[in-house]
Amino acid sequence: MANFVQLVILGLLAGGVYVAVGVGFGLVWGVLNIVNLAHGALVIVGGYLTWQLFAAFHLDPFLTLPVDAVALFVLGYALQRGVINRIIRAPLLFTFLLTFGINLVIINILLLIFGSDFRSVTPTYSGQGFEFGSVVIPYVSLTSLGAALLLAAALAFILNRTRIGLAINAIAADRDAAQLVGIDLRHAYAVTFGLGAACAGVAGGLIAMTQAITPTAGEPYTLQAFVVVILGGLGRVSATVVGGLAFGLVEAFGQSIPGSGSVFANAIAFGLMVLVLVTRPQGLMGRLR
Amino acid sequence: MTLRKLALLVAAVVVAAVACGGSTSSGPTTGSTIILGAPLGLTGSLTKESTLTQQGYNLWSDWINARGGIVVNNVKHPVVIKYYDDTSNANQSAVLMQKLITEDKASFLLGPYGSAATATDAAIAEQNQIPMVEANGAAQSIFNQGYKYTFGVLSPANKYLQGVIDMAATLNPKPTTIAMLSADDNFSLEVADGVNTYATSKGMNVVLFKKYKNGATNLSAEVQAAKAANADIVLNSGHLQEAIAINKAAKEQKLNAKIFAYSVGPSTPDFITALGADANYVYGGSQWTPQVKYTPAFYLSVADYVAAYKAKYPGLGDPDYHVAESTAACLALQRAIENAGSLDPKKVRDALAALDVTVFFGQIKFDSRGINIYKPMVVEQIQNGAHHTVFPVSVADAQPKYPTPSWDQR
Amino acid sequence: MIATLDSNRRWRRIFLIVGGVVAAYALLAPLTSLDAAVSANVPLLADRLWFRIATIIAMFVVMATAWNIIGGITGYAAFGNVAFFGIGAYTTGMLIAKAKWPFLLALPLAPVLSAAFAALVGLPLLRLRGHYFAVASLGVGVAVGELVQNIDYGGQPLFGGASGLFLPIYSIDNRGLYFFYLMVAAAAVSIAVTWWVLRSRFGYGLIAIRENEEAAAVLGVNTTAYKVAAFALAAALTGLAGGIFSQWNVFINQDNTFPIEYNVQMILMALLGGTGTVFGPATGAILLQLLIQFLGGTLPISFDIPFVSEAARPIVAQVILGLLLVGVVIFVPRGVIDFFGGRTRLSLSYLRRSLRETSL
Repeated sequence: MANFVQLVILGLLAGGVYVAVGVGFGLVWGVLNIVNLAHGALVIVGGYLTWQLFAAFHLDPFLTLPVDAVALFVLGYALQRGVINRIIRAPLLFTFLLTFGINLVIINILLLIFGSDFRSVTPTYSGQGFEFGSVVIPYVSLTSLGAALLLAAALAFILNRTRIGLAINAIAADRDAAQLVGIDLRHAYAVTFGLGAACAGVAGGLIAMTQAITPTAGEPYTLQAFVVVILGGLGRVSATVVGGLAFGLVEAFGQSIPGSGSVFANAIAFGLMVLVLVTRPQGLMGRLR
Repeated sequence: MTLRKLALLVAAVVVAAVACGGSTSSGPTTGSTIILGAPLGLTGSLTKESTLTQQGYNLWSDWINARGGIVVNNVKHPVVIKYYDDTSNANQSAVLMQKLITEDKASFLLGPYGSAATATDAAIAEQNQIPMVEANGAAQSIFNQGYKYTFGVLSPANKYLQGVIDMAATLNPKPTTIAMLSADDNFSLEVADGVNTYATSKGMNVVLFKKYKNGATNLSAEVQAAKAANADIVLNSGHLQEAIAINKAAKEQKLNAKIFAYSVGPSTPDFITALGADANYVYGGSQWTPQVKYTPAFYLSVADYVAAYKAKYPGLGDPDYHVAESTAACLALQRAIENAGSLDPKKVRDALAALDVTVFFGQIKFDSRGINIYKPMVVEQIQNGAHHTVFPVSVADAQPKYPTPSWDQR
Repeated sequence: MIATLDSNRRWRRIFLIVGGVVAAYALLAPLTSLDAAVSANVPLLADRLWFRIATIIAMFVVMATAWNIIGGITGYAAFGNVAFFGIGAYTTGMLIAKAKWPFLLALPLAPVLSAAFAALVGLPLLRLRGHYFAVASLGVGVAVGELVQNIDYGGQPLFGGASGLFLPIYSIDNRGLYFFYLMVAAAAVSIAVTWWVLRSRFGYGLIAIRENEEAAAVLGVNTTAYKVAAFALAAALTGLAGGIFSQWNVFINQDNTFPIEYNVQMILMALLGGTGTVFGPATGAILLQLLIQFLGGTLPISFDIPFVSEAARPIVAQVILGLLLVGVVIFVPRGVIDFFGGRTRLSLSYLRRSLRETSL
């Protein structure tokens, strides 16, 4: 029983990272109709920022998260404004290709700057945690989950309560109508992508604490973002939160299958995603538009 | 550019070329250059390990060229190693192998990094009948194909953690139960298999064997299973990435064991820099450590090798075993060429098969399949942020710190 | 379709130019043997490296052309076609390595099994549209690769497991040449199939589905059957390439037969050349692979990147590749084959116009 409770907790805690990875990916996909294959690379950029600030200035990794968010927002804004906006009217698949190219560029620039060494942020309190009998709740993971939920809440706030957020929602509903009512599409698109990148940056900061990063370490996260966003349902932040936590749970229980079963954790997650798509394309939480 | 200027330029280039050709007038003892080649993952997911491999190759080529080259029948042949980037992609590695053979006229091949690339390239070497000496593909499946032209200087995968079991059997109180975690790639599974078959012979029980997806980013459920198994020894067979993730999760989830040992990871400096004090007490199975004591028949002593590495690559700490085994591959090739007294690929292949020599890396000798089963693996432990060799006792520089204290008492 | 008047001239030009490129490429191979090539003093033809690169190019021609049938002509953005490559490779590989079948007997089963699998998963998957179909097919691709690597039967890996499958080295004279011709034949077949599709009732049905699926259904096109057939056709061709690959490469495992990046590459090639056309994907495959090989330093033409150290060179080459892809996607959104399309020429104004068409 304690083991079961522990697994649930671990799954939810791990889900925090997936929420952070998923919300940005889902926003860009849902609003801009861009499948951002460079999302994982942006995540790792955030990871390196956190690591650099931690290694050079001994800044607490959680305090670096706002820095990641701001820096990645700027990078994302510039990428969308300068590059991706140029193909927004091209067929959908072109976004795959464009972001694939951007992914290649970012990864290799990281390789030039940081080299291929494995980096990880290990603050002094890393590994500490609450203990309830045999059930453990590590501080770092708990705070990460908190940070991820806060990030999702902030994003939801921006989207629903601010002018630019409403503009973004309007674009998601009908791009041409949005343009007609005077929304500056170029700016709004760039802000949207910037927000997505900012979320990726925060996710990267969290990831740098739980694992070691290299320039190529983001690739699994791009794939996982697909599953998270689809599981929850495209288009709403709250749905992605559910998707991320669900993915964490599926992974934890998939891995806990006795014997060699855990190697199928990925296959189970992707299989589940296909099943959700086929039977309930709006996702577990989504609404059909 | 006018035609006249162009003509002048061409003339100048020709003159310069002639001048250069003249200045490298070969002495009586210098022969043709031997071209060696290796495709490596200089970009992509295997960049770290490939870079270490390249460092190992370069250390040797610097050394041999400072001596004028490999001596074959009193003629010195300088050496050039050609590298290409295979972007960590096995199919591209095969293309580059073929380029090295066909276009660069490489006489001999050095191995790529990784079991998948090595397996693909071994088939190319076989079809072209060019010997490939490799240092970074320990999976025995490569050597069970009856290939005649592939040689591996490193101990096979199944030996990686057997040293840890041997060491554990000598400790007091003797640990008896093992929780084995393993990535699901070829190499890691062979390592795990080696443990599973070997443990019982040392009176130990594998109470948990769990495979996980290679490259998994979150291993907390695996660590939880190991905790539930309550074993004396926690072994991981995977890669640096997973070793770091498991160690972090073990601390978070209060997984306490008497021994934590990982196949790959602890020997690299990155493991200590990434984990800080949490890296202490971790054991690693290693092909080689800077503390081993072997009496080399040629090339540098262990201490000189470490010094040479630090001089060429300052700021990177001690060379780890990826570097050393890569250098050893070059040494095996060098000695085989010398023994063969020829640059003929077939004769060198036969000399490789008959090779038996001890260098700073240990004994290099190949079994009938072409892999080096004669060199023992060593066990190292991280103590106070530094690597120490703790087993076998004959090469050790420290006692194992045993048992590992629980996480809240460190 | 708007420019029906132009279309004859346009097709003739496309056919002449691209067909010429493809023919020249195929004919570069010696017609007899390596020895003949050597004695005829044609060094390129005696070159095993050239054969290896050319075989890989042909392999991608098959994959990109096959993808075009479902992705370009039918308009369903399959993002998991590498699963069919892997299934084809493993079908042939298993039959040869485990059942000891001869290669030529094992090869035909590769497309058959791939197509059967595609039909099976296609039925539910092809009900999805747009990105949803892309993501679902990606999920199938990933899941199949993992299952193949990890399924055990009676404690033993069923498909060779993580060790992969080692096939016996096919002993035949001029091995490189043999597989080169096989792969080129597969490429020719896939191009011919596309040519036929675009001229058949079947193909018109597929195009109708791409342009407006509901309307197509109203017009009496059995959309489900058409889509599944197109998917299975693409899978069969891709599986054929996989089957040839397994014996050619001798060693197969999850890494080299289910690489996710191939999904991206085949789409990239098709878009680069021009989707929905007969020769576009093939042209894209040849161009992109040559570019990759050129930047990787495999081609005889060498180049220097100024101000870059030896160690950083391969990394910078990858950055350049990424930038080139970005540039091509931005400036040539209709594919390079558009230049040969009769109405457009590669010029500054063309680049400016295509930029304007697609940007915000």
